[in-house]
Amino acid sequence: MEDQKPQDQAPFGQQPFGQSPFGNNPTPIPKNWLVESILVTIFCCIPFGIVGIVYASSVNNKYAMGDYAGAQAASAAAGKWTKIGFFLGIVSIVLSFLFFVVLGFGGFMSSYR
Amino acid sequence: MIMKLKYILGFIIIIGLSIIYYKFNPEVYNFFPECPFHKYLHLDCPGCGSQRAVHALLHGHVLSAANYNLLMVLSIPLLLVHFSLKVYSQITKKDFALKIWYHPSTPKIIFAIVILFWITRNIPFVPFNYLAS
Repeated sequence: MEDQKPQDQAPFGQQPFGQSPFGNNPTPIPKNWLVESILVTIFCCIPFGIVGIVYASSVNNKYAMGDYAGAQAASAAAGKWTKIGFFLGIVSIVLSFLFFVVLGFGGFMSSYR
Repeated sequence: MIMKLKYILGFIIIIGLSIIYYKFNPEVYNFFPECPFHKYLHLDCPGCGSQRAVHALLHGHVLSAANYNLLMVLSIPLLLVHFSLKVYSQITKKDFALKIWYHPSTPKIIFAIVILFWITRNIPFVPFNYLAS
């Protein structure tokens, strides 16, 4: 008798039906990488950051709908694309610097665009 | 502890980059990387002109920075607020971080702004070519 639960109580870990996911959420929202994607978009020159922004949007949407697993997956994807953009940016910086060192000062003063 | 190290490292990198971008004009010296998108397609991406804009900003020329990349200049105040709040939360151990990033419509608005900026800055007519880098 003691282990019987009241009828109206939802099982542990599940959202009660009809209740808004806002308020006291059981799980915190996963990192959506939005700021990092913006930084990659406007500084790293590589449009991979835009993919990150799209996934950030997906994180926020899925979380607002109560789909925590989906939000987690979108968060991982956003992180992946943001990091790809970031590291490609780093690689291009290192490569252009290496070119400069290898070629020496021959092309030092050339117009950049 | 690792978080603290990350912040210190971030500060060192930002200060180092600021010195490099203050001293060398990306328009004159060619050891700065060129955007692959611009190099091969000869079109501007949303980030094109950022290096020259940073150089101009560090010298206090806000208008010429805006001429190189308006989106970057407009996003700087927001990013400054974001990162100073983050550092402040880190110091006080309380959460002051901006909550707007997690609003469902924020990424959509940012996405729309970036795409609109990307398209319009490549239109070669008078009202739009001011946006080009």
